[in-house]
Amino acid sequence: MDKQGRGLSETVWTRLDRKAGAITELTVRQLRHRMSTWVVLGVGTLLILMLLAFYVDAVRDGFEPIDNDGDSEDWDGDGYPLGQERKYGTDDWDPMQYPGSGYYVRDGEVHWSDQNRTHSGNQTWIDATGIFSPIWIDEEFQYNRWDDVDFSDLDDCTQNGEFGVDWWISWGDACQQSNGDIALMSVNFRGEGTLRVLEEYYSEWGHFTDQYYVEPEPASNYIDEDDIDWDGNILSSSQGFDDDGDCLRVDWIELDFWFEEDDSNRNGIPCDVVWIIGSDGETIIDIRADENVDEDPDDEKLSGESIHRVFIIAVGKIAFIMILSIFLPLFLALGLVRDETENGTLHYLLSKPIHRGEFIVYRILGYLLIAGSFVLLMSFLMGIFTSLLGPGDSIIRFRDILIWFAIGLTTVLALTAYGAVFNTLGLVSPKYGVYIALIIGVWEFMMAVLTLIGGGSTTIQYASSLSISHWALQLVDSLVLIIWPDTLTMHLMAEAFNLDTGLDVIWSPPAHTLETGNPYVSAIISVVILSLITTLMIFLAQSVFKRREIM
Amino acid sequence: MTSKSTPTVVIDHCSKWYGNVIGINDVSLAIDGGVTGILGPNGAGKSTLFKLLMGRLKPSGGSVRLFGIDPWESTSPYRRVGYVSETEKLYDWMTGHDFVSTLARLHGMTREEASARAEHVLEFVGLSDVQHKEIGKYSKGMRQRIKIAHALVHDPDLIILDEPLHGCDPIARTSIMSVIRDLGAQGKTVLVSSHILDEIERITEQIVILHNGRLLALGNLHAIRDLLDKHPHRILIKTEKPRELASSFIIEDPVYGVRFSGEGALEILTNDLSAAHSILPRVIVNSGVKINSIENPDDNLESLLKYLVGGDN
Repeated sequence: MDKQGRGLSETVWTRLDRKAGAITELTVRQLRHRMSTWVVLGVGTLLILMLLAFYVDAVRDGFEPIDNDGDSEDWDGDGYPLGQERKYGTDDWDPMQYPGSGYYVRDGEVHWSDQNRTHSGNQTWIDATGIFSPIWIDEEFQYNRWDDVDFSDLDDCTQNGEFGVDWWISWGDACQQSNGDIALMSVNFRGEGTLRVLEEYYSEWGHFTDQYYVEPEPASNYIDEDDIDWDGNILSSSQGFDDDGDCLRVDWIELDFWFEEDDSNRNGIPCDVVWIIGSDGETIIDIRADENVDEDPDDEKLSGESIHRVFIIAVGKIAFIMILSIFLPLFLALGLVRDETENGTLHYLLSKPIHRGEFIVYRILGYLLIAGSFVLLMSFLMGIFTSLLGPGDSIIRFRDILIWFAIGLTTVLALTAYGAVFNTLGLVSPKYGVYIALIIGVWEFMMAVLTLIGGGSTTIQYASSLSISHWALQLVDSLVLIIWPDTLTMHLMAEAFNLDTGLDVIWSPPAHTLETGNPYVSAIISVVILSLITTLMIFLAQSVFKRREIM
Repeated sequence: MTSKSTPTVVIDHCSKWYGNVIGINDVSLAIDGGVTGILGPNGAGKSTLFKLLMGRLKPSGGSVRLFGIDPWESTSPYRRVGYVSETEKLYDWMTGHDFVSTLARLHGMTREEASARAEHVLEFVGLSDVQHKEIGKYSKGMRQRIKIAHALVHDPDLIILDEPLHGCDPIARTSIMSVIRDLGAQGKTVLVSSHILDEIERITEQIVILHNGRLLALGNLHAIRDLLDKHPHRILIKTEKPRELASSFIIEDPVYGVRFSGEGALEILTNDLSAAHSILPRVIVNSGVKINSIENPDDNLESLLKYLVGGDN
């Protein structure tokens, strides 16, 4: 060695750099020569390619318009889809009721306390309870299909005494007395005659409107028929329009039992949507929609984008964070220092002027170079594919590539943290480290699942924060919001308009923003915590390794 | 550079226990310059001693200093130390040149420097022609030499070799011995361990004998050996006519007795091994008896230890 020649150009850094380079390079080459490395990376590649194939398949079919509110179905088989029946207020469970079928109008009633308890006429009688002396009865009449009495075949009343005093019949039933009068208990029918209502009971009567013909609409009219109407005017809080008229109801008939409210958001304006803007005057922080308003938006426009994002976020979270970043280090990092000790090859490395602590860092660096570049490559591949295949008019969706880069970097952070943890385990307990690592792997996976499904629950968010995966997933959530700020709006829309895009399952606004709602805050917190875990683990490994005697 | 007054290796009342098992027991040594053989049977504590020197183990008592520095606390002495461990494992997938140059970079050399130095030491240990082959394809002797090469790549002042001749064929053995002698001749401090007396004898005169973790003897091998030679010794001659040969030997001065140990074997008993060896050729030639082999069954480490341990009593 030329001791004089080096001199000035030689700094601590360049020397360190050479050592770091040598050990890192050795580690990379060592991993490259191991069969298990290729098996693990191969399995990882297969997983990603498989998911990609699913996506390509889904995209090839296009984003089918989805009937988000289910009103294109005709449940009672009367030929009118639910959406059309809702407009006319008819019952989609009853084939007797359909648009134009005519409807009942009340003319009069006898209350339980009324003095006058008889009424005569040619009527439609509803809830009739008492004795009816018929002149004519419409035996064909059907009010609804469940509780009508068959007047062509009435039973005889067998009991003696007075109906309603001495004897009773069951609810919704009728019988004929010997004098031809009919005893009724809350029965609907049509006929001419006189009804004497029982004391303390109620009955009413009325007439049916004329039938008219309404052209049944095709089911396709009720798919994507009520788009989200937002004029972008952030100052106006009341937005939305009931395009398909199933909230406003062009021809109001009756209060349907499942759509009693047309102002479920209780802002005093029927059939509207309230968009609540955050204190920054820009961000939509909540959407409160009345029922049946903007509930079946254009899937191509909205759900297509949401589903595309759901795919990216789901693959990023499940395949990259939950599978790759836990399994790669399990196979590649556990033996980084342990295997060298067990093989005895550590002696070659440690007889060089290198600190044991330094050695650990360079080993992890070498592992990261393999695992990290694999993950970045995979995420880049995914980025290229999804940015080309995703919905939208532009040829390349640059934000997709950004998102994938963010997912790749987050995975590298998780890989580093897990690598540090598993390497430390292998070092601290060469014998049982692998079992502890497996237990930790299962724990991390479970916490990740909790973080995913726990979305809004703060209790779950705090419980699952005792894991690396939680913070990695938080970081993904935060970065998604930073790169695609409108994801929050989509998330709120999915909740407000019951859109089945899966976005609310796979993504939720970051929880750890220190009450600011700012994704940068949660991103920084997540990065700091992940780095802290890594540093702590490396420090632990270093202090154990420094004091360890090597046989 | 350390001051002239500090020996390269100083071991001061050093002990190392593995639980209840003694590795090294109260050993004190100071070694500086030239080749020193560390001699002892398996389990005598040779590797423990080296691992203490290399900072792999922490002394249970006493102290170890390399160039005046505690190797357990600091890695700085390793800049000037080359260590050939007893481990047989190597990175079999690497080429010899790769292995040596990669490890050279840990001394802070650039890639180019490391490569040049690797070529130089590989030539020195005689592996130039196979340096670009994978280590997995090397013979045992080549593997030992590649381990020596990596330890020499940074031109160290102290070289520690743990059983470098172990398992080598005679040709490899000879070449490794000459490498070690050359290093000693260059004025470097070389520590080489072995459990075979004959091997050490061919490398150096300066020896340390370890037995059961204790320092049994140290100094010039010939001085120790002379002491041993004055004690009863056997020379085993294999011949078809042992009785004829016995009569020729019994009249010679250094020989105090003969014994027939089985068919075709004659044991000559002497108190002066070198004198007996000096008359050996003459007597055999004069007797005209055909000889198959001559062996010195007592000229090994075990007899030496037996003698030394016995002498202590």
